[in-house]
Amino acid sequence: MGLIQKTVNWARLKSPWVLHFNTGACNACDIEIIAALTPRYDLERFGVVLKGTPRHADVLLCSGPVTKQIKCRLQRIYDQMPEPKFVVAVGTCSCSGGVFDGCYNVESGIDQAIPVSAYIPGCPASPKAIIDGVVKLLSSLETK
Amino acid sequence: MLIALFNILIFPGFIFLTLFGWIAEYIDRKLCARLQNRMGPPWFQPFADFVKLVSKEEIIPEEANPTMFKLMPVLALTATVTAFFYIPLWGKSALFAFNGDLIVVLYLLTIPTLTYFLGGWYSTSLYSKIGAVRSLTQLFAYEVPLLLSILAPALLANTWSLSEMAAFYGTHHWYWLFNLLGFAISIIALLGKLEKVPFDIPEAETEIVAGTFTEYSGRLLGLFRLSIDIEAIVGSALLAAVFMPFGLGLPPVVGFALFILKVLFIICLLSILRTVFARLRIDQMMTFCWKYVSPFAFLQLLINLVLKGIIVK
Ligand code: SF4
Repeated sequence: MGLIQKTVNWARLKSPWVLHFNTGACNACDIEIIAALTPRYDLERFGVVLKGTPRHADVLLCSGPVTKQIKCRLQRIYDQMPEPKFVVAVGTCSCSGGVFDGCYNVESGIDQAIPVSAYIPGCPASPKAIIDGVVKLLSSLETK
Repeated sequence: MLIALFNILIFPGFIFLTLFGWIAEYIDRKLCARLQNRMGPPWFQPFADFVKLVSKEEIIPEEANPTMFKLMPVLALTATVTAFFYIPLWGKSALFAFNGDLIVVLYLLTIPTLTYFLGGWYSTSLYSKIGAVRSLTQLFAYEVPLLLSILAPALLANTWSLSEMAAFYGTHHWYWLFNLLGFAISIIALLGKLEKVPFDIPEAETEIVAGTFTEYSGRLLGLFRLSIDIEAIVGSALLAAVFMPFGLGLPPVVGFALFILKVLFIICLLSILRTVFARLRIDQMMTFCWKYVSPFAFLQLLINLVLKGIIVK
């Protein structure tokens, strides 16, 4: 691996910008994601910044089972993100459907719609678990 | 030829400004974080952000005009770097100087705002268009107080050239104390120019996603961010040259350190202000700037006119 490639990889690990998207969650997971971004946990010390637009984001934080209505929108947002991009499924719902599994109007989990890089279980996933999941995702990229 | 190239590319040109801009961004973010009682980003954060953005895929929307879309970040960067050459740093004269360079610097510093407008407009997304129009509307609010407040010290020194102003205040040591009101006004105007928090209406991420930059990604966004960082340095250096013209003409190393300190002082002032205030609405900002800030700028102008009649013969 050349020096440039190493620097680029290092930079990607040190500055993951996230986009938060609710794919039909009961809102508890969203509150926990927001809680992870507050001064109490301060994700900015890892370089994480919440962005409003998919064009700026590297990591898509999804919460909730994918409802039929939101599926195509989720795919569109995923397509709007520039490469390289990662998707993190936050909460049991987004991992497998959770309590909503089998409902007539939902898919069972984010990976039914778009490829997922990391799963963070928990109902709701606590801020610590979310930070842990993101850090694990990043350190798994480091070895690649 | 070689010296000119060195000046443009390395010092005090592009590379120096880039590094200083990153340091300033780090100090700004760290100070903001500490004021909010959090840890804040590590020291290499602006560099990591830039490298990451540069190495990312670059998406140009189908509807956008590709030439304008790609040209705008480069233009913003060039304009800000060019403006820096006319500002006296620690000597009594800038790298290039002519009578009237004060106006040229102010106009060069207006170009980035215009590029935000054009870039947002040509990316044809609704959010960017709203952001673009807002940034142009905002321009009318802060540009007049900024020009007036910088005009007042120039009036006292009886010149249109930044270098001659530095020479004047170098010989009349305590005259800069008369301009403190103008300094406060220009700090407010600079906040508007840099689109920092009380005036970050054009990119208000809770309302219009990311404003002008909504469609920008990858390298182009990186260049835009870099040009904002450099604009902060150039704006602060301008204010330092106009309103804090003391200790000019010191030996190079001391003078350079003093210049860095002055600029960092203004950067810290800006970041404290951006932490303690909340965003205004665009109409509130217009009212604020035209009703309160501009009259005070006129007052400063009046004070300096009177002073000029009384003491500076
Ligand atoms: S995992 Fe639990 S808390 Fe999270 S969205 Fe699903 S039901 Fe709500």
